Amino acid sequence: MIRVFGLFLILTISNVLLTGCWSKTELNELALVSALGIDKNEEGEYVGSLQIINPGSVAGSKSTGQGTASPPVTVYTSTAKNLVGLSRNISAKVSRRLYYAHTGVVVIGEELAREEGISNLLDALDRDPNFRTTTAIIIAKNARARDLIKILTPIDQIPAENVIKMLETNETMSGENINAKTRQVIDALATKERDPVITGVELTREADGGKLESIQQTEPESIVQVGGIALFRNDRLVDWAREKTARGIVFLLNKVKETNISIDWKGNEEAVVYNMIRQQTTVKPVIKNGKPEIDVHVKAEGKIGEVQVAIDLSNPDTLKSIEQEVNKEIQGELSKAIEKAKENKTDIFGFGESFHSTYPEQWKRFEKEWNDTYFSELKVNIKVESFIRRTGLRNKPYLKDTN
Amino acid sequence: MEKAKIDAVQLFILIFLFELGSALLVPLAIEAEEDAWLAIFFGMAGGILIFLIFHALYQTYPDSLPTQYMRNIIGNYLGWVLGFAYCLYFLYLSARVLRDFGSMLLTVAYHETPLFIVNLLLILLIIYTVYQGIEVMARTGELLFVILYVLAISGFILIVSSGLINLSNLKPVLEEGILPILKVAITQTIYVPFGEAIAFSVILPYLNNPKKAKKVGIFALCLSGINLMIVMAVNISVLGVNLTKRSQFPLLTTIQSIQIADFLERLDVFFMLALIIGIFIKITIFFYAAVIGLGDLFKVTNVKQLIYPLGLVVLLLSNSIASNISEHIQEGLFIVPIILHFPFQILFPLFLLLIVYLKKRKKNKA
Repeated sequence: MIRVFGLFLILTISNVLLTGCWSKTELNELALVSALGIDKNEEGEYVGSLQIINPGSVAGSKSTGQGTASPPVTVYTSTAKNLVGLSRNISAKVSRRLYYAHTGVVVIGEELAREEGISNLLDALDRDPNFRTTTAIIIAKNARARDLIKILTPIDQIPAENVIKMLETNETMSGENINAKTRQVIDALATKERDPVITGVELTREADGGKLESIQQTEPESIVQVGGIALFRNDRLVDWAREKTARGIVFLLNKVKETNISIDWKGNEEAVVYNMIRQQTTVKPVIKNGKPEIDVHVKAEGKIGEVQVAIDLSNPDTLKSIEQEVNKEIQGELSKAIEKAKENKTDIFGFGESFHSTYPEQWKRFEKEWNDTYFSELKVNIKVESFIRRTGLRNKPYLKDTN
Repeated sequence: MEKAKIDAVQLFILIFLFELGSALLVPLAIEAEEDAWLAIFFGMAGGILIFLIFHALYQTYPDSLPTQYMRNIIGNYLGWVLGFAYCLYFLYLSARVLRDFGSMLLTVAYHETPLFIVNLLLILLIIYTVYQGIEVMARTGELLFVILYVLAISGFILIVSSGLINLSNLKPVLEEGILPILKVAITQTIYVPFGEAIAFSVILPYLNNPKKAKKVGIFALCLSGINLMIVMAVNISVLGVNLTKRSQFPLLTTIQSIQIADFLERLDVFFMLALIIGIFIKITIFFYAAVIGLGDLFKVTNVKQLIYPLGLVVLLLSNSIASNISEHIQEGLFIVPIILHFPFQILFPLFLLLIVYLKKRKKNKA
């Protein structure tokens, strides 16, 4: 009897004592940081801005029509010499404990990325167990991170979430940006043979996007939008790639999912649109006559999305010649991307890395002068094979052949 | 020695879980860079040789504990001292692994909890398990084995299906030739985790069918070795050598990078479960070996009386063993293998085996 009682007592006590956490923090004691922006000021200090979720304004109460007066997020700013210091200084202004586990995006101001480089920024993020390194990282193009973080967004109320979704959707739909995660950027910084690329986000501003009125109309006064890909040399931003060049970069990194490629047809500019559905790009390093070369092979599959001229799509030969045009177009984009990288002497594609892993012996010879000599003189052989599988619901367009 | 028996499957599972133990969680053999998995392979081969050495001793004295046959082989006094040294070695290793456990939990999740409390909770559980005896340990092992394997397989599927694996991270193979890899194998992986199976020399006499010991041991070492190779190869192919090297716990970082369909992410709990299961078994075996050995050396009639005081020793030792995680890990990588693992895992057993052999020859001649 005493045994049973003792056992019962032990079970009860351990239930009470072991299930509690040593340093528990309830949800209402946490300030959820949704975005972290970092800039630099004239004194050389970091200016950090935290976008913190206002729990009261995003909870379901909105639908009742009462509409709270405060915006869904609040931005706090402070300065310090390092990131942990930033966090500490900001916590002096916030009533709750800052919590980074749900940070959706890290924004870095362009000026900081250009002048000082980003390598000093990321260690705190890499080291802290709360912060997830799967968090997206972006560059505020032509702007301070602080300004970008302040902008309120419609549809997705929390601006950070809006930016992430925008990047993800845009990455799948257009293939013109790369949704770079903190970990990938750190990885590229730590790898000698590859330089990082980060997507830029810019804002079009007519008024102060930080005011609730900005989104209380059908056409918001400030909009955040994807603005190309930032090329880095080591840890410094050196150049921007936009549109087709940007897509070339994404192709070479084999990250394109879906995209539309417009081609000219018999003098009509961008008259046929090819909807690419999937692709596979392989990059193969080869050494010919002692010189490094890269073989790029793109295989794409898709359908016809739009035609603005009268062509007979039921004829397989026509499709063949469209495929040829698409091949040329993709090839051009890749060449542009490679030119851009060579110009800036930054091996963002990791060509050096692939040489290192395939030809470890010969790599030792290239290694020292890779970026300066070998990379900028690298011959890249591009081969594109695209296939049109379907033409949509119609074969011939309704347009009459005017020729 | 208690009156108990375990069967071959249970022994297999105990060795397997013991080997995975903490080795699953740390950047094992990462000094071999891309070829870490090869270094683990060579370590495994060496570990099997070590197993064969103490298995040969076990075959000569199938019913006695190492502390008993050591006295038989090299005389009462010297044998006693060596046996005592082995018990201290096992106690020290249980404290080391306990410290591993504590610092991992503190780094990963419980930043503000004192190390002492975390270690106390686990050692209490281990004291209880050891108090219940080897049969309960073996049955617990069977249960945990299933859990760990389900976790491992589902984790592996999740990693593969989220498209994280990039095999080119494993290239180039043998960039600097085979020597650096052998060096890592000989200085590290052969001892931790494979050579540590020497603790099973205390467990082997409990096996109900001594003939199966050899096969079971080799098979368990192979399977755990293959598993460790896979884990390390997956870590490197997901994270790259550089990040794996910088990570205290690469497996955690690998698991954290799983992101499937916007909801299957942040699966840190996989790591935590693997951590607790593996380390629990590992400390339990070491601690049990020390307790049984000391009980035999000091002729304690009820071995269970030793468990509480020794548990306290392990707990205190685990707290005072190093002042920070870097010190702890550096000692484990570079000092302990040379001054403890090498003599206790290879030198002394070989020496004992040599004497047994010489004695036999003398007997045969006479």
